[in-house]
This record gives sequence, C-alpha cells and structure tokens, in this order.
Amino acid sequence: MKKILFSALLISYSFIQAQVDRSIMPKPTEAKKINISESQVFTTVNGITVILSENHKLPRVAFQFIIGSDPRIEGDKAGLSDFMGSLIMSGTEKRTKDQLDNEIDFIGANLNASNSIVNLSCLTKHLDKGLELMNDIMQNANFPQSEFERVKKQLQSNLLSTKSDAGSMAKNAVSKLNFPKHPYGEIMTESTLNNITREDIIASYKNNFKPNGGYLVVVGDINRIELEDLITKYLLAWRTNGPIFTNPANDGVFPTGNRVVFIKKPGAVQSVVSITYPVKIRTGEQDQLPLKVLNGIFGGGGFGTRLMQNLREDKAYTYGCYSSLRITEFGSWMSAGGNFRNAVTDSAITEILKEFQTIKTDLVKDEELNLTKSSMAGDFARSLESPETVAEFAYSIIKNKLEKDHFQTYLQRLDAISKEDVLAMSQKYFTSTNCNIVVVGNEEIIESLKKFDSDGKIEFLDPFAEEVKDIKPATISKDELIDKYLFAVSLTSNKKELAKKVKKVKSYERVIEMTSPQIPIPLKMTEYFVSPTTEAQKMEGQGMFFQKSYYDGSTGFKFDMQSGKKDMTSDELASKKKSSGLFPEINYKTNGINYELTGIENDNGNDYYVLKLIDGENVSYDYYNTTTYLKEKSISIQKVGEETNESTTTYNDYKNVSGILFPHSLTISVGPMNLIGKVSKMELNGKIDLKSLKE
Amino acid sequence: MKKYILVSYFFATSLVAFSQKKIEYLEYDLANGIHVILHQETSTPIVAVSVLYHVGSKNENTNKTGFAHFFEHLLFEGSENIDRGEYSKIVEKNGGELNANTSQDRTYYYELLPSNKLELGLWLESERMLHAKVDIKGIETQRSVVKEEKRQRVDNQPYGSFFTEMFKRVFTTHPYNWAPIGSMEHLDAAEEADYINFYKDFYVPSNSTLSIAGDIDIEQTKKWIQTYFGSIPKGQALNVYRDFIALSDANFEKTYSISKSKFDALNFMNSKDPEAKKLLAAYAAKPIEIKRTQKDKTVLTSITKEVIYDNIQLPAIFMGYKFPEQLNTDSYAIEMLNEVLSGGSSSRINKTIVEKKEMATFAFSFYYGLEDAGIGIFAAIASKDVNLDSIQREFDLQIDLIKSELISDEEFNKARNKFENNLVSSNSSIAGIAENLADNHVYYGNANRVNSLLDNYMKVTKEDIKRVANKYLTQDARVILHYLPKEK
Repeated sequence: MKKILFSALLISYSFIQAQVDRSIMPKPTEAKKINISESQVFTTVNGITVILSENHKLPRVAFQFIIGSDPRIEGDKAGLSDFMGSLIMSGTEKRTKDQLDNEIDFIGANLNASNSIVNLSCLTKHLDKGLELMNDIMQNANFPQSEFERVKKQLQSNLLSTKSDAGSMAKNAVSKLNFPKHPYGEIMTESTLNNITREDIIASYKNNFKPNGGYLVVVGDINRIELEDLITKYLLAWRTNGPIFTNPANDGVFPTGNRVVFIKKPGAVQSVVSITYPVKIRTGEQDQLPLKVLNGIFGGGGFGTRLMQNLREDKAYTYGCYSSLRITEFGSWMSAGGNFRNAVTDSAITEILKEFQTIKTDLVKDEELNLTKSSMAGDFARSLESPETVAEFAYSIIKNKLEKDHFQTYLQRLDAISKEDVLAMSQKYFTSTNCNIVVVGNEEIIESLKKFDSDGKIEFLDPFAEEVKDIKPATISKDELIDKYLFAVSLTSNKKELAKKVKKVKSYERVIEMTSPQIPIPLKMTEYFVSPTTEAQKMEGQGMFFQKSYYDGSTGFKFDMQSGKKDMTSDELASKKKSSGLFPEINYKTNGINYELTGIENDNGNDYYVLKLIDGENVSYDYYNTTTYLKEKSISIQKVGEETNESTTTYNDYKNVSGILFPHSLTISVGPMNLIGKVSKMELNGKIDLKSLKE
Repeated sequence: MKKYILVSYFFATSLVAFSQKKIEYLEYDLANGIHVILHQETSTPIVAVSVLYHVGSKNENTNKTGFAHFFEHLLFEGSENIDRGEYSKIVEKNGGELNANTSQDRTYYYELLPSNKLELGLWLESERMLHAKVDIKGIETQRSVVKEEKRQRVDNQPYGSFFTEMFKRVFTTHPYNWAPIGSMEHLDAAEEADYINFYKDFYVPSNSTLSIAGDIDIEQTKKWIQTYFGSIPKGQALNVYRDFIALSDANFEKTYSISKSKFDALNFMNSKDPEAKKLLAAYAAKPIEIKRTQKDKTVLTSITKEVIYDNIQLPAIFMGYKFPEQLNTDSYAIEMLNEVLSGGSSSRINKTIVEKKEMATFAFSFYYGLEDAGIGIFAAIASKDVNLDSIQREFDLQIDLIKSELISDEEFNKARNKFENNLVSSNSSIAGIAENLADNHVYYGNANRVNSLLDNYMKVTKEDIKRVANKYLTQDARVILHYLPKEK
C-alpha cells in the first residue's frame, strides 16, 4: 500500500510541475508596507544636534560626528583641510599616534576621521572605550611636527601617483572646470602642499572642530538613556568656540560652447571620458527628485539606461557608461562618461552627446520611466535594510531644512512623476552644447577630438588640472623679435634712430607705489638708472628700507632686512653685467646671452612670443605681444640652494615719456606674495645723487 | 555583471561569516541535485536570491582560459522565455538589483528584490539554469565588453596586473596559473560548441546551490522552488532537453537515434510517447560527472625574481608565497598571523615600513585562500626615491621576527577582538548571509560553519601563529616581483 501511495504522490507532483507555464513572468504578491522608524533628535547644551536611531539586531553601535562649518576656499594652500584630515589621527595631548592606533585596534573598532567627519563603529561592549578615543581625537588632536613631515611626504607621493591614475586626473579636471573659485574646484598640487605649515593645520582644526553647529549621528544597539550618559561623560566638557563658518552659494561656471580639455596619459590603452557641467540646483529643491529620475533614465541607473544600452550593450565600446548627477548644498554638477578604448573614444563622445540631445527633444518612453521609478523605489526600500539609512534621513531633514515627512512621502512623490515632468527637467538642466568634455588618454587620439570643441582649440591640462601651455612655432627669428621690440618701445623704425634715442637718455628715476593683499602697509619702490650701466633700487615702507641694491658696471651690493648688506658675488656681478643698460636687449647678442625664441604662447586670450633666457641655473621667459611687440610679462625661475623661486612680473599701461614708452602699471608675484604697482613718477635725465645710493 | 573578480572575492572570503547571534537556516536537496538553503529575516521587506555554480577559472582548459567569467556575462543575455537584454531590465523594473562574479573556484549570481517579488527571482534564476539562450550578437557584444573590462581593471590600472603575474609564477602546474579574466586570444578563438559544452558540463542542478535569505514565507518559498527548480530535468536528461532546443531535427536524431517529433515541445519531460519517455528516464538516471581539479600539493623550491614595467610613477614590490588551501585547519592561524602583520594601523607592517621608516606609501600583506591551494602576498608601493630592495629587507626582518619570537599578549588579544568585531559585522545584510551560507556549504560541506567560525579563530594559540609563519613563509622559496615605471 505504502509503495503505491508514494508513486501516486510522485505523479501528482509531476502533474503540478506540468502546470507551470514558464513563458509567463510571475506576478508579484501584495507589496509589504515600508516603515521608516522614527529617530530621536535632541540638542546638547554645547550645541550638538544628536540624532539617535536605535537598532538592537546586532550588538554593535556606530557614532558619527559631522562638523557644522561649510568647506572653505583655500587658494594657494589648496588641500589644507584634507591635509588636516589625514593628520587628525596622528596623536593627541593624551596619546601618541602609536598608542592611539593600538588602543583602537585592541578593541577591534573602526575609528576613522577626515577634515569634517569622525566615524566610530564597535561592538557595544567596547563602546565606552571607543567613545573615549573618538572624543580625544575631536578635542585634543595635537598634530606632532614629525607626523606633519611624514604625512606631507606621503601626500607628495600620492600626488605623484595621481600622475599615473587616469581616474583621479579626470576628477581633478571636472572639479576645477565646473567650480573655479569654489571649494570644490581646489586641487592640491605640489606647490600648494608646500605652502601649508603645521600652524595652518592647527588653525584649520581649531576653526572646524567645535561642538556648536555639529551633528552626532548614533545608530545601533544603544538606548536614549545610555547615550545621554555617554554624552555627559565625554562631550559636554567640549567648549563652544566662536560661530561656525558658512560659505555663500556658488553655482559654478558654465562653459560657453563645448570645450574639449585633454590630459595626456602616455601609454594609455583606454581613455577616461567625462562630459560635465555645473547644474543649478541645491539639495532639497523641488526639482531634485524628477531630475534624479531623468538621470536614472539617462545613465545613472543600472544596465537599462540609455548610456549603458547604447554604449555597452549595443556598441560594446565600454565595460560601463554612466552618468552621475551630484546634488549638494554647495553646488551641483552632471558628469557622464566611462572608459573607452582609444579607437572608439571619439565615437563614444559622439554617442553620449547625442543621448544628451535626444532626451531633451522627445518624451521618454513609459517603459523607461517605469523602469527607473521602480528601480529607484527598490533602491529606497533596500537602503532601509541598513540602520544607518534611517539616521541619515533624519540628519538630512535637519541639515537641509526639508519637510518633516520628506522621506515618508518619497515613494508617493516618485510615483507621481510623469514623462512631461522628465522632459521639463531635461530641457531645464541638460545640455549637449555647453559641456566640458574632459578626456584623459593617449596623445594619438587628440586629432579625433577637435571636432567636438566649439572653437576647434583643445585645451591641455596637467594631472592637477593646471593649464599646460600650448606653444605654436614663431614666424620670426629671435633677433628680429628683439629689434621689433626695441623699435616699438623707442618709437623708432631703424637701428640708427634707436641708437640716437638711447644715447640721449642719461638717466632716469622711476617711483612705483605698491600695495599687496599680504602686506598691511603700502610700499614704495624707486629705481635709478645712470648711463651707461649704473643702476640702483630701493624699497621702503613706513620709513624703513626693506631692500636696496646698487651696481655701477663693475661692483655692487645688495641689502635686505634679514641678511643686511652684502657685496655681490662674482656670479651675480657677471650676470648683472650681461643684463644692464637702459634696454639690456640691445646687447643680448654681443654680451653672449644664451637666449632662444621658444614660440608663440597664448595667455589670457593674447598671443605672445616667448623668449627664453638661460643664465646658468636661472631661467627666465619674457613675453612679447605678437601685435604690439611690447614686453608684457616676464617669468623668472631662480635656483637658490635646493629651492627654486619663481617670480612673475607683468608690465602694462605703456606711456610715452620723452619719446620712449615705459610701462606704468606693474604686478609682481613671488610665491604666495602679490604686489600691485602703479608708477607715480617717471623722470628722464633728472639729477641723481649717486653718492647717497651707494650707502 | 559588474564583476569584482579578484578583489571583492578576496574580501568576501577574508571576512567569512559569523555572528554572535546564531544564523538560523534550513537546507535540503531537490531530486535533481540542487542544494537549497533558506534563511528567514523579516525586518525589511526584501529578499536575496542567489545561485552558486561550483565552476570557476580553475575548471577551464589551458587553451580556453577566461571562459568561466565570459560565460557569466553570456548568462545575462536571456533565455528561451526572456528576450535578449531583458534579463537585467526585468530585475531593475521590479525594483531589484542583480550582479554576478567569477572567481577561480565558483560563479555566483544574485538578485536582491522586494520580498513580494521572490517568485520572479526564482523564475529568473531557474530560466538561467534550464535554458539560457545566447546568440551570435550577444557573444560578440560580450566579448568586447569583457575586453573593455580587462582594459579597465587590469591593463589601465596601475599595478593592475600583479595578481595575474603573481599567480602565473606561484602556481606553475595548477589551473590557478591563470586569472579568471583569462586570455583575450582564447576568447577570440572560442567556437559555439565550446559554449554549449561549458553550459552542459557545469551549469547543471547537481553543481549548484540555491541560497535565499530575507523576508520569506518558508512554506510558500519551498513550493515555488519545487515549481521552478524542481522541474529542471535530472542528470543528462537536462542536456537532452537543451539539445532538443538547440539541434536541428537531423542532428538531434543522429545524436539520440530518435526523432524530435516524438517529444512534446511544451511539456518536454512529460512527453507521452513511450520511446521518448524511455530515453528521458535513461538519461535522467545518468549523472553528470563534474570534472574536478586536484588539490595543488606542489611547493615552491626556489626564489623567482622578475621585473615588470608598468604605466606607474612609484615602483612597487610584491612577494608571493605558497599558502595552504582555505579548508586547511592552518588557515585560521594564518589569518591571525596576517592580522598581526597587516591588520589595522597598529599592525607591524604599517608601523614599521609605512610610518617609522617611511619606505612605502602603502604596504600590506594578505592571505588568499582558495579551494585547491592558497597564496600569501606581501606588497608595498615605494615612497619617492626608496629602493625596492630595502623594502624587501624590511619585510624580511618582519618575517624573521614573527618566525623567531612569539607575538605579544597584547597583539594576540587585539587580533582576537578584531576577528570578533569583523565576524559580527559580516552578517549584517541578507545578501551577505545568503552568500556566506552558500560558500560554507560548497567549500566546507557545512553551511553551519557560519555559526562556529569564531570558535575556530579562538582556538588558535600564539604558538600556532609562530608555527604557521615558519611553515609557510619560506624565504628561499617565493616569488618576488618588482614593478617599475615604463620608460616614456
């Protein structure tokens, strides 16, 4: 009997199996309601907003402290706060770095910190110790000199690695192009790194790490009472320290026309492409969600997006092509691209631009819209698995001043978005004609990219998004250039007239009034020239002489406040000898100056002949306007011991003084120092007291 | 399909599952050999559906390397009932996410779905197992995509080739010799028959584990599993069915000496014709033998030193040792050893080579345990102007030290605490739990190992750590790679 029953069962089973029609996709069962549990929010007496999201599933807790201040512009110290962040765990008043590392590892905790966020996660049983360590870092970091030096070297090495990492290079360019003069657009380079001192780091820490305005986000196996006890124990003694820093809004800079920017990566087999522009929208604005839907359809979603379907699934140009739309409270941007093999890089750009255009013209398909909306709804639901999400929601509502039910209504709002809404978003925010097209790759593909640039001129950046000068060959010789310059400044047309005019100048005295953002007092610089080769210079301010120099054709001295008066060395005299005179250029050839015309460079929209002068280890570049032949800029790179000092002088506002053109407006920049000068006196053939200058 | 062939897999195994909270699950086999594991966790309405096929790059022929990974790409193309390109769209459209990865030992596919779409996930994965469909356009597209993947992950990545270069020299006789990404030439040379055979040989019920975790109703789930996976033919009968779809009438008849017309196309396994029935029964009784590889018992006998030029700025050194397979009981002590050497900022390698001596911007070691063998790698990216030999000397000093002296009590307790923390955290997502259960079943024959893992680490003594250091860190038998910048 039993046997028979058994086989009857088998038959019925296979009967059931026969019923399944595999060609029909299974329907979902009824959807479960999604619950977002409430977070608790309270403020401490020293101004920290605490957000607690309890979750007792696993015996662990995560703490996150976020500073209240906005990012700052760091200028020639770009990377300062990043440097501070890399150093913040390098020791405290109570613990050396070794002790700190050891104690963190000993409780098996993860504790990490950046310039604006400190994260701790550990097992509940180690929480007290973990919080003690976290607190020590937030309040007592002491940035030891030795660690400063060590991390600086490491950052230098990292900067070096950037030069072989196409992704980082593209990222640098994207930030700089979209956000010049904005904290997002600041890139640490070897030179900005060198400008940062330990004192800067300490100041940055003190200015940023303060309790007031900060947020403490707590997630996990802890209740309100336990948390309050720990806060009292560790955080209440942290004293407020001035207001937090807020940075005014800045939407970035939109390119006019398409702008191709190329960064060379020798030997690259693929190009990294990023088509990017700033987007005028801030966190929490009405358009954010429909714009996110648009980006999801375009390239921000999974495999079904337009970019992915076109460039990977259809053309197989790439392993992945994505668009990313970053919306933040300080500025937002779009970037679309991927990695493409050299031969198809230009075709890939064509396709991406085409996709930008198409989505602006036509309504998206129902299918795409539904796909993206469902996928975003799914992402939202899945994100709730992590207890951190709930706390993040609460943080975002407070930080970005969102409606209290912003996340509760998320799915409803998402569901209501129509094709028309999406089209409105693409028309408002998408462009295929005002994009920065960043390409990092092999030089061999440059020619193929010209067609994308509105003016056909590709710009070249280095790995840190600094401009690389594009040099064109000059059409005249170096000596022709010098002649043309001399004729131009002396308002003559041949050598004979020039010689005659020069001969007439017995002396001159020039006074330049200078101001500098870095120096609190106005400065006065006076220059003297007595024919044929005597010259002197002094710089004074508020009755003090900061610098003096004197040279009479055979001997000379220099004076500055730090080192006092020093005779010129034989090397200095030799180089002075070659370059003295009213117009030293006249004698370049006869004095055996090593000079060459490197070509035509474009700087700020003007073309210049660039004359390179080499004097031992010192090199300078003089920039002559290709139309007027006037000298408008000079860059001098001098080696002093192990260091190189670069100074740039610009000459403008040439005026006729007794038949000769002299510049009346000058700027001098040396390292971080900028001087802006106006000529207040320019006198030819006046009386000059040489004796007093010799002192 | 975004695959993290090597790296993510390494992280996954190094943090293998454990939780202080016991993970409850149930497991059983279907008649056709599929192993099923179910874990219920109802706090969020989502579910992870995964299938692990016990096939990786080590099962490839020496002249067909890269096939397992390539095949993974192809299995997203579609099936008899899913049009080309629709597979991933269906998942996205249903608010889910999917992916897959291929290692030396296994190929793993998963979907994360809202829990009310569990049945859809089961249908999708069963379609993939029963009758995936790949056309020529799909093959050509994926071939190019895989090539781009290699360019992006290996060729254009600074030091990206180190895994391949290391495995090539540490495993000279075992198929671990090549990396899962394989050879592009081999992929170019592949023919249609190769794909069909790979599918028939490895993508079969008896080589697969279906692991499901999340907000599920156990009884309903079992029923659906029976419907979608239980209906997949057993043994060689599955391949008769696949041939029935793929072959022409003439070729089918040539192969099986029976006409296709005898079978019921819509209800193949229940074809009424007695001859067809007989044939199916006969083939169902024939198991599919999976060609397994052997454990790699060979050892390195000398030092292999090689210079590799790459598009990099900073030179780097990689040292590789033959370590035991992950099943080896020594593997726990080895992971503890590695924790002391390289776990966290206070670890020996970081403290000396990176911080105190400032010889490297980045230095670490790790143990990569595989099914048939393992490898231990020490790596450092040199600081500016630091010589690679001096870094090697420093590594060697550290290795000598840990071989000659017991680690301190503090280091020992630190490592234990670290493992406890890691193990608690590693089971915080249902996706992680589904994968951990499947891995432990396949590699250790014991899914419940997820619940006893911490004990294994806690049994390790300081003496064990010293012993394994001496046993496996063989200074006169290792591979040393120097990465140097290519001349411009």
